[in-house]
Amino acid sequence: MDLESPTAAEGRETLLIVDDDEINRAILENVFSPSYDILEAGDGLEGLRAIMSAPERLCAVLLDVVMPELDGLSVLRRLHESGLTLTLPVFLITAEASDSVLREAYGLGVMDVISKPVVPYVVRRRVQSVIELFQARRRLSSTVESQHARLLEQARQIIELNVGMVEALAAAIEFRSEESGGHVRRIHDITRFLLERTPFGSGLTPEAIEEISLASMLHDVGKIAVPDAILNKPGRLTPEEFAVMKTHTVQGAALLARIPQLRRGGLRYAEDIARHHHERWDGRGYPDGLRGDEISVWAQAVSLADVYDALSCKRVYKDAFPRERVLEMIKNGECGAFNPRLLECFFSAEEELSHMYKKEVMA
Amino acid sequence: MNAERRTRLEEAGIDVGEALERMLGSEALLERLLGKFPADPNFAALGEALAEGDAQRAVAAAHTLKGVCANLSMTGLHSLFTRQVEALRGGDMSAAAQLMEQIAPAMAAVTAAIGDGDGER
Repeated sequence: MDLESPTAAEGRETLLIVDDDEINRAILENVFSPSYDILEAGDGLEGLRAIMSAPERLCAVLLDVVMPELDGLSVLRRLHESGLTLTLPVFLITAEASDSVLREAYGLGVMDVISKPVVPYVVRRRVQSVIELFQARRRLSSTVESQHARLLEQARQIIELNVGMVEALAAAIEFRSEESGGHVRRIHDITRFLLERTPFGSGLTPEAIEEISLASMLHDVGKIAVPDAILNKPGRLTPEEFAVMKTHTVQGAALLARIPQLRRGGLRYAEDIARHHHERWDGRGYPDGLRGDEISVWAQAVSLADVYDALSCKRVYKDAFPRERVLEMIKNGECGAFNPRLLECFFSAEEELSHMYKKEVMA
Repeated sequence: MNAERRTRLEEAGIDVGEALERMLGSEALLERLLGKFPADPNFAALGEALAEGDAQRAVAAAHTLKGVCANLSMTGLHSLFTRQVEALRGGDMSAAAQLMEQIAPAMAAVTAAIGDGDGER
């Protein structure tokens, strides 16, 4: 084999000659053997078998038309049916090519029709050009494929990094609040559950629910701006202290607004959630006193998730309440006023949510 | 291939220059392929098919011989077989059979010229 062969590197270096005439095969073999490995078949059936057994090793097929067993056009038809003519260039070598034969052959995807007796430098140039074209196509498409895979991998890494940063930021706030840990993770899970598994999230795409759940972890990011003495004070806050505490909503939204990348990075909901997760359905919440449907679906969901989790766990200012009491307090509006439809969805699904607190409540 | 042999082949109706071009200048390949020509079973098959009136078999044999002659640049024989194939495809068996009167001596001449070289190869 010629080491200079342009196909050697790809493993496609075999040229198949299908012709019942030994002399034709010998002449073509003589033309192409310096550049390619040569495989010969003496009739159409043998040729078809040689192709089908391992089409990927072939760089081209030279096909006679008039042959016993299976003629060249029949071979071509089979190759066309199996889609092979798209990746394997086929040349018809014929002494008499009628219009109808040419028309059918080109319709079946033949790359070129070369007349017999062949003129060596013509057939060599024509066949090599097409082989090189197919090689270039294969190289290009494999390059595009690997670039595409690389881009997907990079996108995945960016999303992972994004989630990691959000979790790290949320965990930092949580540690500062000296909370039991896992709060933001549970808010994420509860929010996702309410939107994904109950009718409250109908109308939201899976991608939106994904983004909202991630954004929910940043709902208390504004607590960074609240002094330790207030944040970690056991027992009730004075009205002045409570006023400072309430600013975590506006502070959080202002902080997130300063990171424009968040909007593009799938956290477009974070600012709204940070600002409005203490609004109430009856309009008596803060900071904006929004009422009813003025509060976004995602802010409502995070708001309920936050209350439910706070009641179910021990905090610096309180113990964990038993499940029955938690549900009672939410039902009676002791911890906020919620959309009746949201409550209906929540109570229908709460059984499953309660499992995540089993250990903590018993502890 | 010496000049004498070349002349002998050309006198028998073989365009040696053209044939060698097709073999990319390989005299060895040309001699090998010429050496197979006298033993080509298609000529005998053609004679039988014409005698039996088997047009299909006759056209297949004539067609193959036409191709062989083209490849080996046997110009006289090639044009005779071309006419014969046309006659057979046109359904004119008697014209095809009549052409054998010209084909047979041309075949004999070519075969003889090729055979002369046996000792050299």
